[in-house]
Amino acid sequence: MGSSGTWQLYSVLVGGLGTLAIFSFLIKENPLYRFFEHLFIGIAAGLGPMLVIRDFLWPTILAPMFGDNVTAFPDGTLSEPYQPLYLLYIVPMLFGCLYYFIYSRRNAWLAKIVIGFTLGASGALAIRGFFGEVLPQIFGSFKPLVVLSEAGGFEIVESLNNIIFVATLLLVLNYFFFTFGREGSVQGKAAPLGRPLLMVCFGAFFGSTVMARLALLVERVQFISDDWLSAVRVLFGLG
Amino acid sequence: MQGRRLIYLAMIVAVAVPMLLGWSLQPQRLVTAERMYDVVEGVQVEPGEVAVVWFDFGPGTMAENEPQAQVLLEHLFRRRIPVVLLSQYQQAEAALQSIPRDVATRLEREMPGQRWSYGEAWVNGGFRPGGSIFIQALVNAPDVSKFLGREVGGMPIAQYPAFAKIGGVERVKLVGHITGLTGVFDTIIQFFQKADYRPTLVHGCTSITIPEAYIFLDSGQLKGLLEGIAGAAWYSEVLKQHFPQSNNTKLLVVNTALSSAHLVLIGLIVLGNLIALKDWLRRRHG
Repeated sequence: MGSSGTWQLYSVLVGGLGTLAIFSFLIKENPLYRFFEHLFIGIAAGLGPMLVIRDFLWPTILAPMFGDNVTAFPDGTLSEPYQPLYLLYIVPMLFGCLYYFIYSRRNAWLAKIVIGFTLGASGALAIRGFFGEVLPQIFGSFKPLVVLSEAGGFEIVESLNNIIFVATLLLVLNYFFFTFGREGSVQGKAAPLGRPLLMVCFGAFFGSTVMARLALLVERVQFISDDWLSAVRVLFGLG
Repeated sequence: MQGRRLIYLAMIVAVAVPMLLGWSLQPQRLVTAERMYDVVEGVQVEPGEVAVVWFDFGPGTMAENEPQAQVLLEHLFRRRIPVVLLSQYQQAEAALQSIPRDVATRLEREMPGQRWSYGEAWVNGGFRPGGSIFIQALVNAPDVSKFLGREVGGMPIAQYPAFAKIGGVERVKLVGHITGLTGVFDTIIQFFQKADYRPTLVHGCTSITIPEAYIFLDSGQLKGLLEGIAGAAWYSEVLKQHFPQSNNTKLLVVNTALSSAHLVLIGLIVLGNLIALKDWLRRRHG
């Protein structure tokens, strides 16, 4: 077995141990569970910044700035010319670094410039995103209550679907309409109808959440039964 | 306490038995997955045009998202549509590396003599931070391959002939998004578009996010949807109908194990309610 094979074997073994240690919580809280829980949190916290540096900051920003992406061949030619314009990245980087003045009482106002800029940009993006996401949904909710086929026939299932959709939409919107007094009005009488419809929705969410959790269990059981047990057999010379 | 452990045990047995015995049942027909198949099948690409597929998932939702990624890539690879893989999620790194390689290996085993190689069938653009800002810049870039710059191995993407002349985002003929994270999916919906361009967007979601995904499917923002493992299983079945050599038995076994767990769960809910009803009747009658 090569070094990569050995590495793969031990990573599967540790992965299986980690899975069993976390599942051991189902019996009761124990030190092994605690150890792996903290291990996972630590790995997740460390992995994020490392990947940002390795996969983005270095290859996209820093390497081009330092010319590290340019390879010099023995004949003196370069794989690509160095682009000094990449040095302009320093300007937004320095601007972003002003954020650290938040720790200085005297110069905290400098951090506020960055925060203000970020808030403004985020606000603009949020508005743009809202229109990009919600407007098509509003248009999509304009459904015909009577659907006719191309031949002119009445499509009962489609029509029923659309009627249920539009009725649910209106009743749920009405349920959350609190602007003026509604006692005694038709709107007030219709409001409670929105509640059971919301309950149906929450039930669907709950059911699908359970399904997702079971899928996670299936994947882990598959990992233990296929990969981990095979690795254990190899470790003990049985496979 | 003891009862709770019995429930855990019942669930594990319900999942493990079908998998250990290799049971596989015919998956339930899902219209959404069929629609997605038709959408992918209908994509026509000229030389230089590509599909962009986002893998925004990590170990936490791998159980559902990995089979979805497999079937989508299998279909795109069979149709020889070059795929640019990207991710907004750091923990997707392993999936970006292993899934296309595994699918390509499976196809090469199925069709000896044919090759699906890196740089030709797919290129891994890797993890790209920046969320909405990155996507906006990508959509507005005059040349997608130049904008993406280098793939994860450090090679300029434009050096691979299949991805050298992508041009503007209009040449991205299909966008696939596989995730269990609602935030990143919203970002794609909101920003992967411009005034004269709306992508043909297909989505693989986890079971938790199915109700939300349906909103986008209903409004037409999504053209196709894979609902959890069941969606991937049916897509795999449709692939098999069109490509009889396609063989993803493992996925069908996983889907059967999931159904078995659902049956036990429904049984436990019914049993719990019957016991509660019996208690209530006993208290009522003294």
